[in-house]
Amino acid sequence: MKNINKDEILQPNHLACPGCTAALSMRLALKALGRKTIIVIPACCWTVINGPLGKNYAGVPVIHTAFETTAAVASGIKASLSMQQKDDITVMGWAGDGGTFDIGLQALSGAAERNEDIIYVCYDNEAYMNTGIQRSSATPYGAATTTTPPPIQKDRPKKDLMELVAAHDVPYIASATTAYPQDLIKKFEKAKNIRGFKLIHLFVSCPPGHKSVESKSIIISKLAVETGVFPLYEIENGVYKLSRKPKFTDVKEYLSLQGRFKHLKDKDIEQIRKNIEKRWEKLNKKFEN
Amino acid sequence: MSKKIIMGGNDAIAYAVRQSYVDVVSAYPITPQTSIIEKIADFISKGEMNARFIKVESEHSAMAAAIGASIAGSRVFTATSSQGLLLMHEVLHWASGARLPIVMANANRAVAPPWSIWAEQTDSLSQRDTGWIQFYASNAQETYDLLFLSFRLAERVKVPAMVCMDGFLVTHTKEPVEVFDNEISEFISIKEKREILDIDNPKAYGALAFPKDYMPIKLEQNDAILSASNVFNDIAKEFELISKRHYAATEVYGDSKADVAIIATGSIAEVAHIAVDNLNKDSIKAKLVKINMFRPFPKKELQEALKDVEKIVVFDRNISLGKGGIIKDEVAGSLGINNIIGFVAGLGGYDVTEQDMEKATKDVLSGKVKEDSYLWGEK
Repeated sequence: MKNINKDEILQPNHLACPGCTAALSMRLALKALGRKTIIVIPACCWTVINGPLGKNYAGVPVIHTAFETTAAVASGIKASLSMQQKDDITVMGWAGDGGTFDIGLQALSGAAERNEDIIYVCYDNEAYMNTGIQRSSATPYGAATTTTPPPIQKDRPKKDLMELVAAHDVPYIASATTAYPQDLIKKFEKAKNIRGFKLIHLFVSCPPGHKSVESKSIIISKLAVETGVFPLYEIENGVYKLSRKPKFTDVKEYLSLQGRFKHLKDKDIEQIRKNIEKRWEKLNKKFEN
Repeated sequence: MSKKIIMGGNDAIAYAVRQSYVDVVSAYPITPQTSIIEKIADFISKGEMNARFIKVESEHSAMAAAIGASIAGSRVFTATSSQGLLLMHEVLHWASGARLPIVMANANRAVAPPWSIWAEQTDSLSQRDTGWIQFYASNAQETYDLLFLSFRLAERVKVPAMVCMDGFLVTHTKEPVEVFDNEISEFISIKEKREILDIDNPKAYGALAFPKDYMPIKLEQNDAILSASNVFNDIAKEFELISKRHYAATEVYGDSKADVAIIATGSIAEVAHIAVDNLNKDSIKAKLVKINMFRPFPKKELQEALKDVEKIVVFDRNISLGKGGIIKDEVAGSLGINNIIGFVAGLGGYDVTEQDMEKATKDVLSGKVKEDSYLWGEK
């Protein structure tokens, strides 16, 4: 067992829903990054979690900003700190999937292409949860949301964020989830010590949005990995490295724990299985190289 | 010692930015602003300016990065125009709401469609509610001087400021500009202490405000912008001691006992000087009231300048579609007056001459024009 930093930077009484692993993700990320960290938070669940005016549960400086501006604001902070020779401060963008896959993608692409020395974190709960569960381009195939109610559930696969950012030739990209906390912490520690643009893609379980039981968030996150739905891997300077080889257990178990998939018919689940296979075929080729 | 250099407004802005101890520049190209940021890149490449230049992928990100750099403690400059400024709209609010003294140059350019790259002020006047101080420069000298004044003012009242200049007419018209050597450095090196992101005092900025908190914050912001009127006069006095050039929110030119006042901004105000001279020669007692600072709105200054005139004629190089000239509307509304006629003129860079203004003024005085109108005709 790796020693986990005992310093609790995230403060208690934050406003996350019970069972939200977006809050747990922040707790673990800050254990890795330490107190010399500045966070940029766009419109997302964390706008609420961090508390209203006068509160700052993150425990490190936070700037709340416009939905689509995370990567650009973080770039500006880094430029300023660098002019002040405050190079020991980590600048982290902390955005949801809507703010990353959709509205913030342009600014993210700009910052990645410039190779800004920031850590961009997307905590991905696979829909616009803060506005009440609307589909985003991170919503997986088959999921019900308030804008994709069955039978018009989402019929397109999730956008591949890791590959999108990989196309920018940045030094570090990784996926992680709180079900594997040591892996998550290790990846944040690594990101902190690499200069240039870093992306960390976090799978986050959301009981109200996924229609799941609060106590099952970690199990769901674990199953996301073990079924192959959410691969844990790193792309370091273009080299792909698998962090954990999934057991490829039946995806049905993962789906059955979440009400957002309860309408799915056997043929839909078969399609999901095919999508997983297709994704892994592509990925395995990358791991081999 | 100061010297005179032949420059356009864009060159003058870049020159002033180089002398203003700017730490971070974040910008995106757009005609007719681009030569500002090209010049800045050139200064940086030659080691004449020590700043980070973030070459962002949009104006939206230009302002967002400016916000990040400013809240982290840097003096920040950006420049844009027209479509770019409109793309920034949401982020302009974020900058002013966070009370960040960012300074921006805006090349006033008409808004598409149809495409136009020529002068019009609808772009910046339609940002008048974003909580930014707005200056309108009439010539290259003013762009140069207002840039220094903007940094000092913005930082004192913690409100961002934009210097607007008519595309091509002010941005590119080359004229002699008196530039400082080192004598400005004491004035411009003053940077006010302000709250910035601090890892030893971890606060959250911009968090959710419930109704009981939101309104007081907005009223405080409004008071800060209003206070910029008096603060500007103080800073302008300081500037005058160095430059021997006087700046105020409004400027009056012509017959002090005028019966008719012409109100104009930007390049039209420059031409209006000639129109006033010609009207005076025709025995019409006229004066120009040039608005240099549009936000905060110079209500007191305008009341004073307009108190004894019978008629007021406003030339607006802008249009609030469905309403009319924006400056005319604001002057009439703010002062509660009705002896005022507005002409929308020169949209999309259409030429506005002194003859146009003289004729329009005479038509108002003769009663031929009784309502707001526009200037149009083959040239």
